[in-house]
Amino acid sequence: MTETGVARDLMRSAEIKQIVRSAYAAVDGSSEMVAQKLYSPEELAQVPQGAIEGALGVGNHLRHAEIDAGETLLDLGCGAGIDTILAAQRSGPTGHVIALDFLPEMLERTKTAAAEAGLANVEPLEGDIEAIPLADDSVDHVISNGVINLAPRKARVLAECARVLRPGGKLTVADLTVAEEELPTEILAHPATWAG
Amino acid sequence: MAGALTERDFVAKLERAGFTSIEILERSAMGVEDCSRYPLFTPDVLDLMRTLIPPEQQQTIGTAIVVRARLDRHDCA
Repeated sequence: MTETGVARDLMRSAEIKQIVRSAYAAVDGSSEMVAQKLYSPEELAQVPQGAIEGALGVGNHLRHAEIDAGETLLDLGCGAGIDTILAAQRSGPTGHVIALDFLPEMLERTKTAAAEAGLANVEPLEGDIEAIPLADDSVDHVISNGVINLAPRKARVLAECARVLRPGGKLTVADLTVAEEELPTEILAHPATWAG
Repeated sequence: MAGALTERDFVAKLERAGFTSIEILERSAMGVEDCSRYPLFTPDVLDLMRTLIPPEQQQTIGTAIVVRARLDRHDCA
């Protein structure tokens, strides 16, 4: 790619991040519709209401996650914290979950939810998923729900996941994919579809 | 949604990052009405979707997948 092309790509990348940031910051967190669709009543019974109302994931990856007691997990784009809470309960007091998000508002919600759930093994961390502020080989398991598709540079995100995972580490994610045929241009050009 | 990859591209990027034993464990169709559950999809973009996407495609405009993988080594990232 030419220097001009790289610069244009980075500008577009910054623009997408700003769209996503603004859209998520504007969410009022007053709906249970997503959580009711994705999680069982038993799972929801373990989670504080604020995290339920803020659920914006696209799947229930934790049903398939092999979480061992004592694991260090990284929740990539933790949002209001529903998956962080469920994972922290499963990793137990000897494990812990690093809840990463680029929005302080979301980290505050996760912190509140963890306190309400009586969990001392949740560590909120502000940062960009394209430049995870953690050391190499520092995590056993990366989880994420509906977040990677929001990143302008997905290969970079996955490379960062590989960097912070210990060899033998696990990745369990839910994410949105699309078919080969593209949606109409008017929809793809709408800012809301970059955040949703 | 506008930035989402195809499943094939998603798996290819995982492989390039050094992940192995990649399994797709769930696939759930996501339609326009599913999008309406999310506050991130504004009413105007939902209206655009209902207007511009053919009715027969509105049930599946994307697919939510659950993926599990392992990292064997650090030499591909």
